Amino acid sequence: MDYFLQNFPQQLVNGLETGSLYALIALGYTLVYGILEMLNFAHGDVYMVGGFLAAGVAGLFVHNGVTAIPAGLVVALMAIASMGGAGLLGVAIERVAYRPLRNSNRLAPLITAIGVSLFLESIVEVQVSPAPVLVPSNALVPQTVIRVGSVATPFMGLTLLVVSVALMFALDVFVFRTQFGTAMRATAQDREAATFMGIDVDRVIVVTFLAGSALAGMGGLLFGLTFATVNFFMGFLIGIKAFAAAVIGGIGNVRGAMVGGLFLGVLESMVGGFISTSFQDTFAFLALIVVLLIRPQGLFGQPLTDRA
Amino acid sequence: MVQPRILVLVAMASVGLAACGSSTPGTAANKPDKVQIAAEGPFTGDEASIGEGALRAIKLAVKDFNKAGGVHGTSVNLVVYDDNHNPQTAATQQAAGISDPTVLGIVGPMNSGVVLSTIQGLQGANPPLPFVTESASAVKVTDQGNTVAHRVNARDDQQGPADAKFMIDKQAKKVEVMDAHSDYSTALADIVAKYLADHAPTITVQRDTAQHGQTDFRTIVQRINAFKADWVFFADEGPEAAPFVQQLKSAGLTIGQNIQFLGTDGEDDATIITSSQGAFLNAYASNITPDPASVPSAADMITRYKAEYGADSISKAGPFYGSAYAAAQVLLQAIANSPVNNGKISRADVLSHLASDTFQTVLGPVKYNSKGDVTSVAIGLFQAKGTDMVSVKSITG
Repeated sequence: MDYFLQNFPQQLVNGLETGSLYALIALGYTLVYGILEMLNFAHGDVYMVGGFLAAGVAGLFVHNGVTAIPAGLVVALMAIASMGGAGLLGVAIERVAYRPLRNSNRLAPLITAIGVSLFLESIVEVQVSPAPVLVPSNALVPQTVIRVGSVATPFMGLTLLVVSVALMFALDVFVFRTQFGTAMRATAQDREAATFMGIDVDRVIVVTFLAGSALAGMGGLLFGLTFATVNFFMGFLIGIKAFAAAVIGGIGNVRGAMVGGLFLGVLESMVGGFISTSFQDTFAFLALIVVLLIRPQGLFGQPLTDRA
Repeated sequence: MVQPRILVLVAMASVGLAACGSSTPGTAANKPDKVQIAAEGPFTGDEASIGEGALRAIKLAVKDFNKAGGVHGTSVNLVVYDDNHNPQTAATQQAAGISDPTVLGIVGPMNSGVVLSTIQGLQGANPPLPFVTESASAVKVTDQGNTVAHRVNARDDQQGPADAKFMIDKQAKKVEVMDAHSDYSTALADIVAKYLADHAPTITVQRDTAQHGQTDFRTIVQRINAFKADWVFFADEGPEAAPFVQQLKSAGLTIGQNIQFLGTDGEDDATIITSSQGAFLNAYASNITPDPASVPSAADMITRYKAEYGADSISKAGPFYGSAYAAAQVLLQAIANSPVNNGKISRADVLSHLASDTFQTVLGPVKYNSKGDVTSVAIGLFQAKGTDMVSVKSITG
């Protein structure tokens, strides 16, 4: 019991940090599902591309651990590249791969999404790097460890949590407090009726992909700066976990995705910390099954549309 | 009167032998039409840093062998199977060799997991396709009774005890034993944990498992912190080491200061020092082959390697370039010792010679036991210093 009490706060913080990354990516799944009712399995790889774009910018300005321009400026450029690049990539994927299939049966875009995912992984592996690429975080972000009582976390761990939560709130405000968010929710509720009401549905869909993919790009940047590495395969497992988080929270529900991500991260941390590190993934997906058995609609249940 | 009869008998016997083809190693007059061997390993992908150097060494071994006359005057053609550390890719590539009788053997595969997933295909081929791996160390590679399996490196049950003994000798008290959830690493970590329990009961062991490709180790690092480990043993093929040691450092555990680290062959890789932004410095890593630089008979090979690939190429050659060269030598010598019948060499004969012959390699003589293991092997111990993995000592197992 002592062991549990001593280690619980630290594992909770670890879990929240990991979970905030899951949540950031889960938002992309849930936004697209809410609007189009399709599972964009390429989303994890958009996150991977965001990480590589950030690493690429870092590579331009950091040599042998020394930055050519102020570190803050490099990080800002990395953020612009990863969010902007990933956002545009998401829009391009929608335009090229999904829009032509919008009125086909539901299986076609799903299979296309898997194809896009494999395409992105392969192209990065072959054209960029098959091996992990270093993100020189030592030169870019403080390496200080923040300590509160018995809990310690590196600066980037806390930054990951804070930035992710801030972006989640920003998205929540965007979806539920702005005119465009209302248009998004209207489109999610009934695409045809939204068109009759004068909503440019194509524009709504493009913005949805842009926002979701930009968040994933930011996730890639935060991951790179936290773990100092990116690799072409990094979007696979985290994509599946983020998808699981979105389903646990109630797919299509923005707040559900946030809570689902944090829940999954904390669960993994607790299982790894107090049961067995071998079973972290097992429990994560077991949780998905249990939640679906008890609440098939997910923890938050209501889709994006009903929250208007 | 007797002499002419003897001469006639000798002449008849000669004709008969010639008709049957030679049963001894071929001659220039009876040289094989085509001889091919394959090099297989993760030459691209997440383990390219260990595969690239091995492939270069195999290419060099084939070049040196051909320069010395090849197989009775026939140059050996090297085909490359880049399995990308993926059993499915490996099986697809091996299928081409299995169906081509001029492919007489494989140098590789390098990863135990790949070997164990594909060995039945190689054994089931007609005739079976032999392989000599330079780095697959899982016990099961040669313990399953497959005649195709050979290696020049040590086994896990030789490396594991050597690793455990090293930590015992270094006065370890609390050892975190980790694997990366693969055929190779899980078996090796289990052997180390068992050896510590059996031979040093005062040492406390905590056992953890990372996932292949894992980058977030904070949960495990917290467990290590709570356990107050003074040593971490991480059986890993390499890719996970850099983020792991960085997170150890972020949590206040600096290798060489308040914690010691012993990795395995994949972590005997100087690129981890850079990719971990220096957090790997002072870490130890054991290798299932000795450092070629510490073996006098490998000096000429190292000189040729540098001449072929550049003066600084050894520092990027990875942990298996010496064993890869030696494995290629074993296979090529077995082929050269095999009989040539009608311009062809049979894989069955190559297998037979692999089982019976003694081979001279840059790392010393190789003679296989009935399983396909080398009876006497050396295990190298290295430490991350500056920008290199520096040889600390060599243990003969």
